[in-house]
Amino acid sequence: MPEEPDIELSFRGGRLVSALPIALFIAWAIFQSGFLGIGDTTGLVAGMLTGLIVGMLFVRGDWKEYADVIFAGMTRRVAATAVVAWLWAGMFAETIQVGGFVDGLVWAATVLNVGPGLFPAATFLLAALLATGIGTGYGTAIAFTSLVFPAGLLLGANPVLLFGAILSGAVFGDNLAPVSDTTIVSAVTQDADIGGVVASRVKYAVVAAAFAIAAYLVAGFGIPGVWSGMPHADVTGQVSASVSPWGLVHLLDIAVVIALAIRGRHIIEAVSWGLILAAVFNVAFGAAGLIDVSAGSMLLFSAPQNGFTQMIDALPIIGAVVETVPGAQAGVGGSIYSGAVGFFPLIVLTLLLVAGAEVMRAGGGFDAIQELIIDTVATTVRRAETTMVLGTALVNATVTINTAAEIAIAPYVATLGKRFNINGYRRANILDANTSALGYIFPWGGGLLAGYGAMQGLVGGEATPWFTQQMLVNPASVFPYVFHGWFLVGVFLLAAWTGYGREYVSDRTSEEVSRV
Amino acid sequence: MSRLDKIFAGWTFRTATPEFEPGETITAYVSEHNGSGLSIRVGDSVIRVADGQDAAVEDKVRLKVTSFDSDSHVGTGELVEVLGPDG
Repeated sequence: MPEEPDIELSFRGGRLVSALPIALFIAWAIFQSGFLGIGDTTGLVAGMLTGLIVGMLFVRGDWKEYADVIFAGMTRRVAATAVVAWLWAGMFAETIQVGGFVDGLVWAATVLNVGPGLFPAATFLLAALLATGIGTGYGTAIAFTSLVFPAGLLLGANPVLLFGAILSGAVFGDNLAPVSDTTIVSAVTQDADIGGVVASRVKYAVVAAAFAIAAYLVAGFGIPGVWSGMPHADVTGQVSASVSPWGLVHLLDIAVVIALAIRGRHIIEAVSWGLILAAVFNVAFGAAGLIDVSAGSMLLFSAPQNGFTQMIDALPIIGAVVETVPGAQAGVGGSIYSGAVGFFPLIVLTLLLVAGAEVMRAGGGFDAIQELIIDTVATTVRRAETTMVLGTALVNATVTINTAAEIAIAPYVATLGKRFNINGYRRANILDANTSALGYIFPWGGGLLAGYGAMQGLVGGEATPWFTQQMLVNPASVFPYVFHGWFLVGVFLLAAWTGYGREYVSDRTSEEVSRV
Repeated sequence: MSRLDKIFAGWTFRTATPEFEPGETITAYVSEHNGSGLSIRVGDSVIRVADGQDAAVEDKVRLKVTSFDSDSHVGTGELVEVLGPDG
């Protein structure tokens, strides 16, 4: 798809003022979610809208160009990809949830004796495995928050710690997976082959992951945090006998999605097949009485009661997804509906955020920040690598969508690294690890928002009627618990200082860029 | 290099000041242009090339090391080939 030529904007007060919409949004996000403790994504939408309007007031010349830049940002492919991923993943996750998958996980955890203390560490490992397989940290954050998070709460695990463990797993996969968009960007921008890049980053990922597992074990057993009144578990984690294992059948449709995704099928195709299979399982197992689910759990037209709607309700097949209700309660429901609807605020927010990032690019805000970084401190190879680590971390800490931030900082990592002949694999590793880590730590990070969006979808969800607004984890409280993200940044700071894993261009030249 | 070798490459603490032997041929990016000469920084070691007009900063070049002082980490070299920015 050909991109339109890039528009340049001039701001009153200099290039840095182009960062105003995003800066204002970040301040709003910290005020709203950090200080006031309001975890309302639609509130953040209002913040980003306000930021975009205020930013416009500082534009020199024709404001139409500012509007064009916003349009250009919103139509970027990265935004469309996120929107599609959320809608499809949302429908799929909700459908396997109503199919008893969470109950199945609770059953499995009980049989395997994974208690609330062990659960966060186990969750980290499984999320890391899934994310490495499917290559999307956002998808993993969404899937695990929708499916494993409620199971963990039912077992009595600490919700903040559990959410941190899920995000840590997402960081791991985003960093290591060959099919991850950030991995591909890191390799391509640093002139290195993807296979070599992935192989060379194992030495950093495993060190950070080992520390993260230890930390989740210590914290899992050390931090209490059981919600009382869980339907399946009492405070000691005893699971009631009524939990059905049959929901685990949905591991099959998850496997189909992962297999298709790894074989390079489009996410729409891969998830659609998983969704179809999940729906078939739900209808079959529901009819057999093994799982408490029916076609109406996935799609339900609640029609106002009258003679005509009652006639339709009585029909075979169609009648299964139609019910009649008093007029005021009319509406559409079911997992297909609520799974998609849960992401609407996040989708709007993402489109606006990408627009804000585009304003910053067009106004030279990115350039200004990066020139400042390059000119100030990079005088020795240690300081250059430290600057690359911190610079990547800073840009990713301020820009919500980490792939976009990575693309922006990549040319500067290349320039700075080549000045000291740091090898392409090492540059790609510094770039990707810190991109992956910071995208999931702060409350405005895209990966954290993706998971949080999924958590909001649990409130009053078809499969989780017990999950209330009060159980939502405050997005601003998670940052200390994304252990793998922090350890990854720490490993790279140590590596920059000690030379661990450092390779020069003269030691080993990276191979040609290719897809695998 | 096999995939396994790639995984286990670089599990070491590499010095900030790598050393080179006279006669060794290396591949590296040009770090600086000064007059008609070039500086190639590999970490904090520097190799100077007296005659390098053909190569620009960030061009990859092949050069032969002619001398290297392991105390000051500074050496000299001759340009063998200019591979270009994406070489």
